Amino acid sequence: MNINTPIEEREFKIVGKSVKRDDVLEKVTGEAEYTGDVKLAGMLHGKIKRAAIAHARIKSIDVSKALAYPGVKAVLTHENVPRVLHYGSPHPRSASCTKDQYILDDKVRFWGEGVAAIAATSEEIADEALDLIEVEYEALPAVFEPEDAALPGAPLIHDVGPGGNLVLDPVRVNRGDVEAGFAQADFILEGTFSGGRPHPAYMEPNVCIADWDGSNKLTFWTSTQSSFMVRGILAEVLGLPLTKVRVLVDHMGGGFGAKQDCFQHEFLCALLAKETRRPVKMEFTRHETFVAGRARHPCRIWLKQGFKNDGTLVARDMKLVYDSGAYGSHGPGVTIVGTTAATSLYRCENVRLEGRCLYTNTPINGAFRGYGVVQSYYPLDIQMDEAAERLGMDPAELKLKNVVRAGDIAPSGHPIVGHGLEICLQHGIDVLDWKSIRNRDRTPDPKRPHIRKGWGTGCEMHGSSAYPGIKEQGNATVKVNEDGTVTLLTGAAGLGTGAHTALAQIVAEELGVRFEDVGVIHGDTDVVPWDIGAFASHTTYLVGTAAKMAATKVRASVLERAAMKLQVKAEELDLTDGQVFVTAEPGRFMSVAEAMGPSRGIPAANIVANGTYEPTKSYSFAAHFTEVDVDMETGIVEVKRVVPVHDIGRVIHPIAAQGQIEGGIQQGIGHTLTEDYIIDKKTGRSLNAGLVDYKMPLSMDMPDIETIILEAAPDPGGPWGAKGVGEDPIIAIGPSIANAIYDAIGVRFHHYPITPEDILKALREKGA
Amino acid sequence: MKRIVELTINGEPRDMTVETCCSLLDALRDDVGLTGTKKGCDVGDCGACTVIVDGQPVNACLMLAVEAEGRTVETIEGLQPGVDVLHPLQDAFMRHGASQCGFCTPGILMMAKKLLDDNPRPTDEDIRFGLSGNICRCTGYTKIFDAIKSAALEMEAARS
Ligand code: FES
Ligand code: FES
Repeated sequence: MNINTPIEEREFKIVGKSVKRDDVLEKVTGEAEYTGDVKLAGMLHGKIKRAAIAHARIKSIDVSKALAYPGVKAVLTHENVPRVLHYGSPHPRSASCTKDQYILDDKVRFWGEGVAAIAATSEEIADEALDLIEVEYEALPAVFEPEDAALPGAPLIHDVGPGGNLVLDPVRVNRGDVEAGFAQADFILEGTFSGGRPHPAYMEPNVCIADWDGSNKLTFWTSTQSSFMVRGILAEVLGLPLTKVRVLVDHMGGGFGAKQDCFQHEFLCALLAKETRRPVKMEFTRHETFVAGRARHPCRIWLKQGFKNDGTLVARDMKLVYDSGAYGSHGPGVTIVGTTAATSLYRCENVRLEGRCLYTNTPINGAFRGYGVVQSYYPLDIQMDEAAERLGMDPAELKLKNVVRAGDIAPSGHPIVGHGLEICLQHGIDVLDWKSIRNRDRTPDPKRPHIRKGWGTGCEMHGSSAYPGIKEQGNATVKVNEDGTVTLLTGAAGLGTGAHTALAQIVAEELGVRFEDVGVIHGDTDVVPWDIGAFASHTTYLVGTAAKMAATKVRASVLERAAMKLQVKAEELDLTDGQVFVTAEPGRFMSVAEAMGPSRGIPAANIVANGTYEPTKSYSFAAHFTEVDVDMETGIVEVKRVVPVHDIGRVIHPIAAQGQIEGGIQQGIGHTLTEDYIIDKKTGRSLNAGLVDYKMPLSMDMPDIETIILEAAPDPGGPWGAKGVGEDPIIAIGPSIANAIYDAIGVRFHHYPITPEDILKALREKGA
Repeated sequence: MKRIVELTINGEPRDMTVETCCSLLDALRDDVGLTGTKKGCDVGDCGACTVIVDGQPVNACLMLAVEAEGRTVETIEGLQPGVDVLHPLQDAFMRHGASQCGFCTPGILMMAKKLLDDNPRPTDEDIRFGLSGNICRCTGYTKIFDAIKSAALEMEAARS
């Protein structure tokens, strides 16, 4: 349950300040250790043989030449690995998972899927030996589009699942009476929308190292957001008790959601190490991060909504189809979250939603920042702009009229406590003088008449946890050491967001010690408390609350100890800045170090407490205001300026929060304009699996971003009202760009990415 | 075939024993043990491996280790002017939140150092252009630009 006591108002000493992030010093000096930097004595290198066919049965596989190649130590195929059906995304507390993967199968389901693995004394040798593995395939008919996969008689990709190529039963949501709603409508808008396959393209390619000891215990370094999930599924699939798998991860070079699966290469690395009795490292090439990583689910969406002439929304009917790729992975979660999200954002009493997710013979889609909601809010927000135009209203005004408000039922099914969207939108309208912006000249530069300017808005809301899909649990252990320093143990991953700093701030603030005195231990499943993984924008919210709970407990114990030493009652004491003092007599004090240390007759102490938190959900909100230049001659869209206005409740670390917003905007500009991981529709081959052909916004492409963070609607579910921020920015930016393009050139696009070719084609068709 | 390569790394004479096909990046990371320089792509697309060779920024993944014979290589590990002293860029990156996951950071810091060495008063456009070969996927670059501008001002102030 969410904590529901009123949010305590107080003067903050550490929370709300951009303290120096503890992990950044190592990053600017080059000392930070990432998984790929770990080198063990006698370490072998693993490589994966990948199929050059999208759908096939393996008739035979001959590894004899590879095995005979000097330097090769082991080769694995489907014939000599355990055959255990497993979840690709092992959320142990998730309501929806699909067991559809084997470590290696005798069937290939996408171009690039691993069919064998080699361990050798060097990467080069392993690479060369891959070519010596001979695989004979029996080709099967393949499908590359969810529409085709849904047709009766389509080739079946799996024999598990609810039937056909469905990953899960269709997700249906019905509220109110949609037909009655449409009957009341003064006008109806209907459209089809689609989204591409953006890739998270984290800078650190996936990498892991496996090492077994004499007691048959596996130590496993891996770049993961979810070390305990990796531990759980490795143990399950390899038939080990949990205590025989230790997962280690210190720094990671990004993940953005996509590093929360247990990947094929991770099992193979562990098995190669077991087979050879030597440590094995497996590091993806950049090409492999595309082919064997996880992208966002492409989608097709049909949306029909009824409006009254006063702008009220009276009915929403929506069908969503997500492309899961060759395996389920996060398909169920994305479909449920993305579909149910469409109950909200803009209020409507009569809603009918249907979400489907289909297997195709394409690389696996998984979790990526904005998890299904990027897809479903894009049409909702764009159609709002279309309605505004029809009504002759300003789109921001129409959105303001319709955005969710306090007490509305959230997609999670419970009423939301803090609703900040109205405030965000209004704030942006005011600070930008939005009305006058809207009236500005669309070709302001007479010397460049081919450049059209446009402005657009986009709104979003996003939960600070994965509830109710996953019953989450946050854990923290706080220790006060004999010298008064404090240690926080957390299982939350150091993804790069600054979460550990925020957690340390929360502990320092609650306990009453200096930020510098709190150390954070993380990244070792043998040492830290169980953690669900760093995803769903929830670390500060979920683990932050658990850390605060633990800090409350140790604070009480520290006061007890000081009370004994100062010979007063604990209730008479207060604690700030690492000093315990008698509230009525501030001259009587001792440091936490003195309280904890030894004194005559009292031995030194070490105080430990745990916090465990199982929340429901809070929502964060954002309205983005975006200015674009559209070049009518080249079709190139330049995003010039973005004013993102976010409500994230209490801000713990302002600079880190801004950093999340600005990075999310960068990725969102990417998927809206240039980024699409393209799979050839005839063969299933990847066409742009590299950082040049997959075009991301870089330093020359970034707009001016004027981030505004409002603490508009703190939610008591998080520490002092803090909510999540990681995913929000990537959701709102997309529709704000699409709407701005329309404003500039009068052409509506219902898909992303909106490429220069699309723009030129549309302008030609329009006769402009 | 292995060869011995003699060179100067971060001011110190070193030798490395490398295969002739080995990249400078792999040699630095695996043979010399300087793992601060990162591998984001190994094909010259991302800039994570940026080091400075004889004063020029180089993608270490695109240079053979044997080509570094007799040259001077600067890596992130040599950026600090002294123990416990940070280069103004390093300090500014920390203050401004210019490093999130940090995987791009060593390469960007080396590129930024080169930029400020050549052009102590860069305009915004100079900075954007200077970093156009370095991918950062976390920050949206905003805080990186802020940090470089702020370091440039400090270095300017320190000089005058
Ligand atoms: S690793 Fe050298 S440019 Fe990417
Ligand atoms: S900080 Fe993660 S790539 Fe730049």
